[in-house]
Amino acid sequence: MDKSYLQVNNLHYSISGQTILHDISFSLAQGDILVIIGPNGSGKTTLLKLILGVIKPDKGTVLINNKNVKMALGKIAYVPQKFEFDRNIPITVKEFIALEKCGKKEHGARFINNALAQVGMADKEDKKLGVLSGGEFQRLMIARALLHEKELLIFDEPAAGIDLQGEATIYSLISQINQEKGTTCLIVSHELSVVSRFAKQVLCLNKSVVCFGPPQSAITPEVLQNLYGTEAGLYNHHE
Amino acid sequence: MLEFLNYPFMIRAMAAGSAVALVLGYLGTFIVTRRLSFIGDGLAHASLLGVALAILLGFAPLPTAMVTAVILAILIYYLERKTNLSGDMAIAIIFSSGMALGLILLHFYSGYQPELMSYLFGNILAISQFDLIFIITASVIIITILTVFFRSFLFATFDPVGAYLAGKKPWLYDLLLYIMTAVAIIAGIKLVGIILVSALLVIPSAIARLYTKSFVNFILLAILLSFLIINSGLIISYYLDLPSGATIVLTGSVLFVLLSITKKIIK
Repeated sequence: MDKSYLQVNNLHYSISGQTILHDISFSLAQGDILVIIGPNGSGKTTLLKLILGVIKPDKGTVLINNKNVKMALGKIAYVPQKFEFDRNIPITVKEFIALEKCGKKEHGARFINNALAQVGMADKEDKKLGVLSGGEFQRLMIARALLHEKELLIFDEPAAGIDLQGEATIYSLISQINQEKGTTCLIVSHELSVVSRFAKQVLCLNKSVVCFGPPQSAITPEVLQNLYGTEAGLYNHHE
Repeated sequence: MLEFLNYPFMIRAMAAGSAVALVLGYLGTFIVTRRLSFIGDGLAHASLLGVALAILLGFAPLPTAMVTAVILAILIYYLERKTNLSGDMAIAIIFSSGMALGLILLHFYSGYQPELMSYLFGNILAISQFDLIFIITASVIIITILTVFFRSFLFATFDPVGAYLAGKKPWLYDLLLYIMTAVAIIAGIKLVGIILVSALLVIPSAIARLYTKSFVNFILLAILLSFLIINSGLIISYYLDLPSGATIVLTGSVLFVLLSITKKIIK
């Protein structure tokens, strides 16, 4: 498979002289699902921000389809771990999902309804955003990505603080989008089970790349010990 | 009953008040959503520098104060983004420095300056035809910009990273919002004064958010409340012979308390 959709080359990033990320390089093919794992403070969220172009690296490049990230704006969606907003401010689900305008057709009520229906929120379009639960909000963010047919979806711990059922729904939605639309997905997760269930590629991060590749070959007991320092393990779930 | 309509100064005050109500009510929804309520206060106080400059140099006070406030708004934006100062620190520094510089400048002006009092506390008698045209023009420009780019302002307000990823320039909408707030605040100072004008930016939105579910309704209700507060405050001040600026702001405060209690009761 040609791994040239997303190319991360020799990224370095530091704050006040303290290295946050060092020499990060990897590449992904279109349609891959990459799960990024690593302990707290390993630079996972920083790496996502560098890929998005929200912060600038000291050194290195990020290319999407061989072009600078700025050329891919409009094709990327980002679902942050925590979406900060004042829950008392009135804005409906429908208004929020329609913030991004892709054209008259996509912005039509029918397309919004379809996108919400796909994430099981068809009956919530007139609800106030502030009353949504964490799981509902993550599903809404996914619906927004669906509505605008993004090429690259980036999730920062999409199931953080969500119950098991909500977590299963979110990951199956991500998997479904990936399979049906060929959307490339980057997911930061603390859950090793997410790697075994969803990842086509895994990146183990601890300020630099500890491992990268298909989970079966990339993750070894030594890698996990190097990452987490304990007897962590990767288990396949029996269907 | 409607004898106040016989006085041209009341007509001018109500026309200026209605324009200011529209623009401050509309802008206030974005300012409150971004938790930037303090910026109105900061810019209004710092604009004393512009008023002092105008008095000393013999320029028209309103345009001079507006240019000064816009420059200070850009400075606050710059300090917030390009230094490690937080938003409230940047506003506090500009707020106090602008006001201090204004006071020093006024110290060099010999003689009584009655117009200064009308800028500090508002004076509807001092709203000239020129001021009225200036206020209405500034309001129309701001409302047009907000309405034409409504979706982009909303996107940059709620989800700046999402807006950037969608190919927008959220920084540009942030900067525009700061500049428009500076202009709108100055448009309101002759009505209620430097000291109190920021209340008109915050109170209508603080009430409207309690009674609405969608952002569009939030804006509409905030504008309606702003219109009611300013015009009823003006009429009350006329009949009770009270200072107009303080009466307008207190009308808003009383309405806020009453409607907040009502909301609690009907919840």
